[in-house]
Amino acid sequence: MIDALIIGAGPAGLSAAIACAKQGLSVRIVDEFYRAGGRLLGQLHQEPNGTWWNGMEEAARLDREARAAGVEIACGVSVFNVVPSSSGWIASTTEGEIETSLLLIATGASETAVPVPGWTLPGVMSIGAAQVMTNVQRVRVGERGVIIGVNILSVAIARELQLAGIQIDRMILPPVSTVTGKAGFPEAVMRSLLRVAHLAPSPLIRWGSQLMKSSWMQRLGVSLYPSQGFSMWDIPIQLRTAALEIVGTNQVEGVRIARVAPDGQPIPGSEQIIPADFVCIAGGLSPLAELAAIAGCPFAYVPSLGGHVPIHNDRMQTPLPGLFVAGNITGVESAKVAMAQGIVAGLSMADAHGALADSAELENAIRQVGIVRQRATIQFHPDIDEGRATVGQLALASTGK
Amino acid sequence: MMDAHQLIVCRCEEVSLAELLETAEAYQCSARELKLRTRAGMGCCGGRTCRMLVDQVIEQATGHSPSHTIPLGYQPPVRPISFQTLGGRNR
Repeated sequence: MIDALIIGAGPAGLSAAIACAKQGLSVRIVDEFYRAGGRLLGQLHQEPNGTWWNGMEEAARLDREARAAGVEIACGVSVFNVVPSSSGWIASTTEGEIETSLLLIATGASETAVPVPGWTLPGVMSIGAAQVMTNVQRVRVGERGVIIGVNILSVAIARELQLAGIQIDRMILPPVSTVTGKAGFPEAVMRSLLRVAHLAPSPLIRWGSQLMKSSWMQRLGVSLYPSQGFSMWDIPIQLRTAALEIVGTNQVEGVRIARVAPDGQPIPGSEQIIPADFVCIAGGLSPLAELAAIAGCPFAYVPSLGGHVPIHNDRMQTPLPGLFVAGNITGVESAKVAMAQGIVAGLSMADAHGALADSAELENAIRQVGIVRQRATIQFHPDIDEGRATVGQLALASTGK
Repeated sequence: MMDAHQLIVCRCEEVSLAELLETAEAYQCSARELKLRTRAGMGCCGGRTCRMLVDQVIEQATGHSPSHTIPLGYQPPVRPISFQTLGGRNR
């Protein structure tokens, strides 16, 4: 029987383990991947102040700190069930059952698929898969690729692929359909892209973002949008072009594209096939809720956080005794927010165990989450604060019962 | 050229978008009923790719936006595992 079991060795899980172990609890982390770090492992981007965020280094640092604090990290272990017990929780894993008094689920988020005709061909992958292959496995995904889906994540990863010497021919939208949501509408895409305009290497885009604060300007912006799109780091981003189909006999050979009107509808006669040997599909992220769901945790549907999230309070406690959550499972935000939440969860677990030396430390950690969120370079969604407030109210309501 | 509606949504069970849309329109049902009628989300991956898409089809067909309850429930095991592991005999 251990004091705390943490599922997920990403930024939230590792930070929680360190905070918790330093308060004297016995802590174990399990993770499916063969090395610790979670999505940190793939991250490499330049901050607006010019410094580089190197996720690989951050992961190594957290891993070292956790081991130094006495945390046991087991990689390559999957958890397939969690059930409450008389003394806490039991997790069923591929390495047997683990009994713990406190459980933290820090499983992050999973990518949302965006089906495009031809997406089952070999050579089509999610943008996250391309990131892992490139930055973690150091495997070349192809020679010349097209990215379907323009969002904050795909723009950042396009840059990472480019840094690794892989040619990105262009970034375009998916076709408008039932299963592509807002991703096929130029105006909606432009609006979300403007939130990262301050990261853009081109002053033109930065000015554009200042001009386009109003929705009519955005509509105008989309209709006046240059037909070849604009470029970030010389990668053409075309919001008025959509992929109609990925073509190829036995593998990806190209993409059939068309110009689209501001409402996302293809313009007749504008179709052409562009050659490509790989395609990345970027549909965004949604919290990976499966284990929290089978644990019996109540959920809230909050679109600004990425979908269904487990209800939790600012101490990262769920309404279920001894069950905590942290990181992207609580809403899609940056790795830095996940780390800050992890520290809160770790201290909160120590408190639940009666081992927290100084309660001011927990209060400070809670405040720190808000500070990190305000300073975030990349805001995944403009209404994150509102979404967080909704979950907070639901958490209060659930304890009031 | 491929008809967009023939595109596969659930890859494990090879369920097309057309089949999902027609079923959802005809029965005006829940995501769970759509899953049971078409087998979308019941393949070996456990719906890890198409779960969200099945929810989206229902939203489009019935106009119901999701409630706080997760539309398609989760059951253990949430990962494909061997009978040996399930029986508690590891490796």
